[in-house]
Amino acid sequence: MNLKDWIKTLTFYEILLGMKATLSHLLHYKPITLQYPHEKKTLPSNYRGMLALLRYDDGTEKCVGCDLCEAACPSRVIRVVSAEVPGEPTKRYSKEYYMDMTRCLFCGLCVNACPVDALGMTQEYEWAVYDKRQLQLNKQQLLAIGDRNFPVREKRLEFQHPNVAYFNVGFKEIPQKES
Amino acid sequence: METGIRLALTLSQIGAVMVAVLLTVALLTLLERKVLGWMQDRMGPMEVGPYGVLQPVADGLKLFFKEDIIPAGANKFMFSMAPILSLVPALIGFAVIPFGPDWTVDVGGVDFKPFVITDINIGVLYILAFASIGAYGIILGGWSSNSKYSLLGGLRSAAQLISYELNVGLSIVGVLLLSSSLSLVAITNAQAGGFWNWYFFAFPFPQAVAFAVFIISSVAETNRTPFDLPEAESELVAGFFTEYSGMRFAFFFLAEYGNMILVSCVATVLFFGGWHAPLEILQGPESLHWLTGMFWFTFKVYGFLFMFFWIRATLPRLRYDQLMRFGWKVLLPIALGNIVLTSIFAYMFP
Repeated sequence: MNLKDWIKTLTFYEILLGMKATLSHLLHYKPITLQYPHEKKTLPSNYRGMLALLRYDDGTEKCVGCDLCEAACPSRVIRVVSAEVPGEPTKRYSKEYYMDMTRCLFCGLCVNACPVDALGMTQEYEWAVYDKRQLQLNKQQLLAIGDRNFPVREKRLEFQHPNVAYFNVGFKEIPQKES
Repeated sequence: METGIRLALTLSQIGAVMVAVLLTVALLTLLERKVLGWMQDRMGPMEVGPYGVLQPVADGLKLFFKEDIIPAGANKFMFSMAPILSLVPALIGFAVIPFGPDWTVDVGGVDFKPFVITDINIGVLYILAFASIGAYGIILGGWSSNSKYSLLGGLRSAAQLISYELNVGLSIVGVLLLSSSLSLVAITNAQAGGFWNWYFFAFPFPQAVAFAVFIISSVAETNRTPFDLPEAESELVAGFFTEYSGMRFAFFFLAEYGNMILVSCVATVLFFGGWHAPLEILQGPESLHWLTGMFWFTFKVYGFLFMFFWIRATLPRLRYDQLMRFGWKVLLPIALGNIVLTSIFAYMFP
């Protein structure tokens, strides 16, 4: 050790340097804490929160009961019971639709898989419950979540025949033919 | 009659000091969390009351109503005695601390010193002795808990306290040589009349080095960061009081903070002139000495307490071998050298 190091050790130079740093933080007090229940973080627009089932602007359900979301789900969250629309044998709908949110990992694959954009991800994240069974949602609950989170609904396309399901084939995930 | 008056006066004095100390402890628990938070860009407690000022009350209530658990296989007698053995020495040391001017009031034929409970002529020795007894509480608490973490914490604490008490004792010797008294009242009186008379700066030999040794050893003796090995959270859960809960835990907690205040008071009295103001002009007229004296004493003590928090916010914990090497190979020679030099200077400039 040379003289400079000796002087530094004897005068607690490094410790004083650290104490200066902490004191400067005390004097320029700018907390980064978010007082969570009182103030909340602004979420990014593509935040993947609670799942919801959506409706068209005339109040009819978008879901056509195709089961693609169930197939896409890696955690087997979704269970769809598909059925014909009564009196309209060419049209199907989801008679029952269950989500076991205890298993959901919010990957958004079901939303991507849906051909009619019937599923959406909301910005809700405060879903802590005392009873796990409250996280097993049925169709009515999922539609209610969609209703309260998406007040602006998509228009049912006019050229669409009422008996034909509308598929949004413009999806970027769908493999395209090489031109 | 005289005995009755003396008893009543002393008891009320003890009560006042105890209330003041315990209130300071309550304040410190909040202040520590706030200061630590501010230094780390956090807010500290904010929920209970405006800006979290009622947090000590909530903490106290919680500790009071918590279940009191005695672990299976614990030595019940020792387990219940240890917190008391730890708390009493921490509080009893305040008996010899002069909080204000050295006045003697005549109350009904009884000589009464309003600002010091008892001015015994071995005050420093008394404080050192009781500080050592406090170590028994920690060791016995760790041993009687029947838990490996507690035992290890207690063992570490024993080794650490023995190592650093030595340095505390030796660093004080310089002040004792200069003041030629063991009474804290006499030591305070010898430092009157401006900050150049405080033993930190005083002619013939400033005790600044002794003060550094004293304050470092005191941090170690009160088990505070960076010397908090006895209660190292990341290694030993909570050290010697791992198994304690409720009021018994609160006793250990009070003891730790009481020790902190006691050490700050001793540092103030020995090195920074006790209740004396830095300049004679700031002391005010003779009739107001009690007010300014109490103010300056409190101010200095809180300065030291802030320093405890400041060090805690800055420094990480030492390793065990570093702690031992620092105590025996660095602080002890410095303290001994300080004694030698102080004796020489005190002999040359009596």
